[in-house]
Amino acid sequence: METIFWILSAITVLGALFAIMLRNLVHCVLSLILFFLGIAGHYFLLRADFLGAVQILIYVGAVAVLMLFAIMLTRHVTGDEGPREVLGGKWWAGMGTAIIIAGLLWAIIRKDQLAQILPAGGAQTSMVEIGKAMVTDWVVPFEAMAVLLTAALIGAVVIALEEVIRRR
Amino acid sequence: MAIPILFVLSVFLGIFAYTTLVERKALGRIQNRFGPNRVGRWGILQPIADGLKLLIKEDIVPRRADQFVHFLAPVIAVIPSILLFSVVPVGTRLVPVDLNIGILFAFAVSTVSVLALFMGGWASRNKFSLLGAMRAVAQVVSYEVPMVLAAVAVVMAVGSLSTLRIARAQSGGILNVTNWFVFRPWGFVGFVLFTIGAMAESARTPFDIPEAESEIIAGYHTEYSGFKFALFQMGEYLASIAMAGITVTMFLGGYNGPGSGPGWVGGLISMFWFFIKLAFMIVLNIWIRGTWPRVRVDQLLGFAWKVLLPMSIANIVAVGMWHYLTFRPLAWVATTLWLVLWFVTLSKLAATENVAPRTYRYAS
Amino acid sequence: MNIPLGDYLMLSAFLFAIGLCGALSRKNAIIVLIGIEIMFNAAILNLIVFWHYKYFAVPTAYMFAIFAISIAAAESAVGLALVIAIYRQYKSVDVDEFTSLKG
Repeated sequence: METIFWILSAITVLGALFAIMLRNLVHCVLSLILFFLGIAGHYFLLRADFLGAVQILIYVGAVAVLMLFAIMLTRHVTGDEGPREVLGGKWWAGMGTAIIIAGLLWAIIRKDQLAQILPAGGAQTSMVEIGKAMVTDWVVPFEAMAVLLTAALIGAVVIALEEVIRRR
Repeated sequence: MAIPILFVLSVFLGIFAYTTLVERKALGRIQNRFGPNRVGRWGILQPIADGLKLLIKEDIVPRRADQFVHFLAPVIAVIPSILLFSVVPVGTRLVPVDLNIGILFAFAVSTVSVLALFMGGWASRNKFSLLGAMRAVAQVVSYEVPMVLAAVAVVMAVGSLSTLRIARAQSGGILNVTNWFVFRPWGFVGFVLFTIGAMAESARTPFDIPEAESEIIAGYHTEYSGFKFALFQMGEYLASIAMAGITVTMFLGGYNGPGSGPGWVGGLISMFWFFIKLAFMIVLNIWIRGTWPRVRVDQLLGFAWKVLLPMSIANIVAVGMWHYLTFRPLAWVATTLWLVLWFVTLSKLAATENVAPRTYRYAS
Repeated sequence: MNIPLGDYLMLSAFLFAIGLCGALSRKNAIIVLIGIEIMFNAAILNLIVFWHYKYFAVPTAYMFAIFAISIAAAESAVGLALVIAIYRQYKSVDVDEFTSLKG
């Protein structure tokens, strides 16, 4: 099991690194997909099967495809970027922040008691429990989520279609 | 665990090989010609000849293509299609893997195949490939929504996502037949929706605009030759066979049929019924392919969003009514009326404006 | 499986830092969105890890993860719609060029 954990972690970290480092935008999204699949593997390893499947369905099937569509609509189809376009003006600030945050989190986690905990028999939440919880204890957030998703759907369509509406 | 998986893999790959032959023969009969009949009697060795030919063909990669992605796409096209078979229960004693998230797993895996189409089309650096890829992505993403919602109806009725539980819920009744979900109002509507969705998802002919020969050569696999092309075809066929298997499991009673049961004899009979139903679905697909003309892009997307999606949501409401009206005759009448009402309304709304009678300038 | 909680926390901390680095230092708006998605996923992984190690009452962290995934999906849809709208206005997706609010 530990080997699987380390392999999955390597896949995830490499996918994330390539997703932000590669020069070709489509390659970036493809390695982002690798990252999503690695995370889904972690969920399966942690016995969260439902969430793993949802991760693949939503992130790989919808979000990544949406990103590919956006690239096709906003770039040359090859997705290549010129040499000067890759990094923003204050790139050193971003990298410095990231390194500092990583170092701080590392130091905190290394010192903390919490980090030594081993799994206590592994949690199990069945689909039935999730479904029941969603319509009893969590019904208000659930409904709020439905409203949010509807608003996001309509909002995204309106924002992307703005020009067409104005032209009429 | 290993034996069912090996069995299922080899059997389904064999079915794939002979589906290509049956398809060519059947299309030949529909179009009033013979189809392949030279290799072996009735062309029975044709799939082997095709495989050999594609194996030893030259593999051409365009010079400007993105080499790595171009190589990766056909591989990714096959993997999800094979993974789909792992959740299809073939018989009462032959279930490859009983996941408790079976149906969700099937949908999650089948979405990954979109990426293969996109990668293949994009990496070829060919405008026809790219157009085919964009069409494929738009089509698969739109048809997935009504398909998932049609499956939600079944999941609601059974109360489980496991394919084995869904198949078990359809046993019993008269001759193990009357409890199939296709013999319920909501089940019938769900079956039609799911079949249309599955056909569109695997880009079969009425919905094959991603590879429409008369418009964009061969779509996303224009630049593929040799065994990579064969892998694309294989992925497509395997996905449509697997989707047929899932349709059978969810609506046509799975492995249930007269004589199926938990024992060894019953298990063998249940496998027989499963494969009969699978063959029926495959032939239905071929028949539809030979009969219907290709739809246009706008018709395709409009149909998914304006007809299939509202209909599948209405179907979910129908399942709810079915669940709460415990007096069965009343439930039958109410759900049928509800679904017919929706069907009539939607077909009225979706009807295109009257097309003027065509005037022929030269030939009349 | 005897992996201490710290390893998982370390992994998601690194992923979070990678995402932050991408979101802050790249020029392209789509890569900024990619970085945000990476950060989201690192956070959701943390929730699931705490669920698995039974740190919270059992379904709570799982529910949070489900809601976080839906929010992330909505966010990326709106974000990409914004990228397309901005591209129509500026004919570019470089975040450094959106300076019309500068005094």
